[in-house]
Amino acid sequence: MSLPALPNLFLADLGSGLALRPETLRDACFALRQNREHWLAGQRTRPLLEMVAYTAEQWLQPDYGYRVRALRDGPAETGFPATTLARGLDAFFRSLSLENLEALIVQDLGDSRRLDDFTSTVAEARGGRTSLARGPILLAHIAAGNLPNPTLFSMVLGILLKSAQLVKCPSRSSLLPRLFAHSLAHTEPKLGSCLELAYWPGGDERLNEILFHEADCVTATGNDETVADLRRRVPLRTRFIPYGHRLSFAYVSNELLSTYSIKRVVRDAGADITAWNQLGCLSPHVFYIQEDGVVSPEGFAELLAVELAAREAAEPRGDLSPDESAAISTRRAVYEMRAAVTVGAREPFRGENPFREAPGQIRLWKSEHSTAWTVVLESNLLLQQSCLNRFIYVKPVRKLAEALHHLEPYRHQVSTFGLGAVDFRAVELSRELAHWGVPRICPLGKMQEPPAPWRHDGRPSLGDLVTWTDFES
Amino acid sequence: MVPWQRTCAGENFALPHGSAVAANQPTKNRVLSSLSNFAQRLAALIRGVHPGSVSVRRPGEDSLASPSAGSRSLDGRLPESFEALALELFALQFETNDPYRRLCIARGRTPKHVGCWTEIPAAPTEAFKDLDLTCLTPKERRVVFHSSGTSGQRASRHFHCPESLTLYATSVQPWFQQHLLGDIDVSLGGQSIALAIHQVSLTPAPDAVPNSSLAYMLGVLDAHRGGRDSVFVGRLRSDGFWTLDFDALHAALQRSVSANRPVLLMGTAFNFVDLIDQFESENIQFRLSPGSRIMETGGYKGQSRALPKEELHARLVGHLGIPEDHIVSEYGMSELSSQAYDHSILKCSEKDTGAPVRGIFFFPPWARVRVISPETQSEVSEGETGLIQVTDLANVASVLAVQTSDLGIRRGDGFELRGRAPTVEPRGCSLMTA
Repeated sequence: MSLPALPNLFLADLGSGLALRPETLRDACFALRQNREHWLAGQRTRPLLEMVAYTAEQWLQPDYGYRVRALRDGPAETGFPATTLARGLDAFFRSLSLENLEALIVQDLGDSRRLDDFTSTVAEARGGRTSLARGPILLAHIAAGNLPNPTLFSMVLGILLKSAQLVKCPSRSSLLPRLFAHSLAHTEPKLGSCLELAYWPGGDERLNEILFHEADCVTATGNDETVADLRRRVPLRTRFIPYGHRLSFAYVSNELLSTYSIKRVVRDAGADITAWNQLGCLSPHVFYIQEDGVVSPEGFAELLAVELAAREAAEPRGDLSPDESAAISTRRAVYEMRAAVTVGAREPFRGENPFREAPGQIRLWKSEHSTAWTVVLESNLLLQQSCLNRFIYVKPVRKLAEALHHLEPYRHQVSTFGLGAVDFRAVELSRELAHWGVPRICPLGKMQEPPAPWRHDGRPSLGDLVTWTDFES
Repeated sequence: MVPWQRTCAGENFALPHGSAVAANQPTKNRVLSSLSNFAQRLAALIRGVHPGSVSVRRPGEDSLASPSAGSRSLDGRLPESFEALALELFALQFETNDPYRRLCIARGRTPKHVGCWTEIPAAPTEAFKDLDLTCLTPKERRVVFHSSGTSGQRASRHFHCPESLTLYATSVQPWFQQHLLGDIDVSLGGQSIALAIHQVSLTPAPDAVPNSSLAYMLGVLDAHRGGRDSVFVGRLRSDGFWTLDFDALHAALQRSVSANRPVLLMGTAFNFVDLIDQFESENIQFRLSPGSRIMETGGYKGQSRALPKEELHARLVGHLGIPEDHIVSEYGMSELSSQAYDHSILKCSEKDTGAPVRGIFFFPPWARVRVISPETQSEVSEGETGLIQVTDLANVASVLAVQTSDLGIRRGDGFELRGRAPTVEPRGCSLMTA
């Protein structure tokens, strides 16, 4: 299908080769604030929700031009194959329904009209108080490059809050944020006039400084060093919302390791590992498998390998850079060596045991002639972060507490636990996970599909962005 | 203090065949004596290679079209072929190196099934951290070389016996000579110039860091050149890191300048970054005597800030007055026994014969490199990127085929270094309790 070229609506449309001048950025911020003042600030929430939900619905149509472009140009620009993109984008846009968006506002702000009028919850009314919540005037997002939907969702939050927004696009790809911005502008051009997307090199302090002074709120996603470095540069009056590196895991309880349910568990596990090629903060590094199920952890790992091979046929992972595939290849070689020696160790060593420390049980399953997928079964519970791109660890544990004990050094970095357990056990395990500090627990197969109202890293995503006015009468 | 080279280098450690030890340990020793026999034979072969006589196939050169350029092989130059030697050593290591044998069995590649040196299973460098990857019994392990690593990371351990060390010492010399001292024409009285070069090593002395293969190598070179007022100006700090004794360094360089003697300055990239930082803070600049040269070996491993190679070299040129083409990069590691260099310092007469190839590393004829696709595990085509795999015949007491985690671009029989693949991170954590 031939599509007309995108018009140059945003700075990022001019390509990353364009050197952005400080005056241009300053002018853009000024214009954004003006446009907001003229239109967006005076809109009521409901029609804005409708515009977003309508645009999201359009994205789910197979022949929607922006979607077609995303799937056509996305593989080259983002590194994700079209099937992976389609699956990830569909899950994301499905979550942006009118009901979900409204639920998000009610959940975070107590009333769906909070951003329009003074309203009160029962508790507030009892105190003789009404309140109104206000979004930032100019909200800036420093976006990360690994996957697109956090950036798209940040843009949605800004629209709900009636904020003018400037998105500093990731170096690797600005395609999807741009296409989403174009689609919003297509739905309502005035919405597009309150949005700007630009790219500049991360190290350009002059531009960063201008942005931090012009915006009254900045969200930043990236690795911990980048985010910490940005935080140091943001002036006190500008609110800074950091989203650093997060790790996710999955746990399967023994009652689901039955011949009856194992098929579904493995299928869901495969979905979690392949979603966005495991590159997001919500993707699992390790599956902890309870030991005393009918299916053993080794049996689970073996079935998971079969599942990943089948998924590779249906939804291939795609090519990697030499660095990424070298990371997998190097890691595989280590486990292959350990596995070869431990399997061989069933015969006695000729001399003394050559291992410096006992590696425990190790087995490796992998795609042949490619790095498409890898399953490592390892009884050593010390966390080794996955090198991702469909490389998963399976570790046997006696109970959940054992896994958490070994995750202790990463307690504050955990994002999501995918939980495979029957209902009564799930409640119990969730309580354990919650008290330990896990911010999100979800069923297997849904790790990369948080609902729109989810609390990102355990914080209210809208709630953290607003400022309140209390009216005491 | 007894000079180190008198205690170690040059000593002939080879056990005579049929010694008392051999008689008492019939099975193991039969193979071990074969290994030491192999080491002695290879050392003899290497001694027969005259510096300058070995040519390598440069990228773009067609070895078939110009047979005189010669593909880099032992064949024809030495009485035994690389292939035969590699297969012989593989069989010996398969017998004696227990973990390696298990790897070969797991891959289905035992000496019975391997008919070509490229099929010899390569052990990952990371395995040197996990396992005692050695043909030697604990008693026979005389020296162990550790990889330099940041504290908290486990180091590789490469065990050596006297025979393998002798071979190591033998193999270091000619290839170094060809690349670092190749411009000095011995026939024109260059021998005295070569000896007049003042060797300044930025590492600690070998006896201060007995587990450093680099310090050992520099010690060997020093000994070979007679050790005339050569100095090691590195010091071992209590936290295990290396640091420079600037007073000693300054004095050594000053002495060479006054005597108008060229300097051979050798160390790791982080040694040189330390040197530059210090020289910059104290605003020191030297104009070292003509003929001075640098051997820099890569790797920072968290010991100092990392500088891109071009910038490092440019600053060395500025601070020491050594021309850019007299800075030679070396590629080596504790898991290997041979080294690769990225270019040779040329004689003036050679400089006009075309642009020198820089930045492409070549191993000596007794070690061969293959650039392996991390995706398919087969050798990449010319100009493509992959992981560097080295088959090093001088790795006699461990494994000859080593799979590194370094990325390189295949260039003829050599490679261009691209960087390091992220490896398995250090396990454990000081916060952890068992």
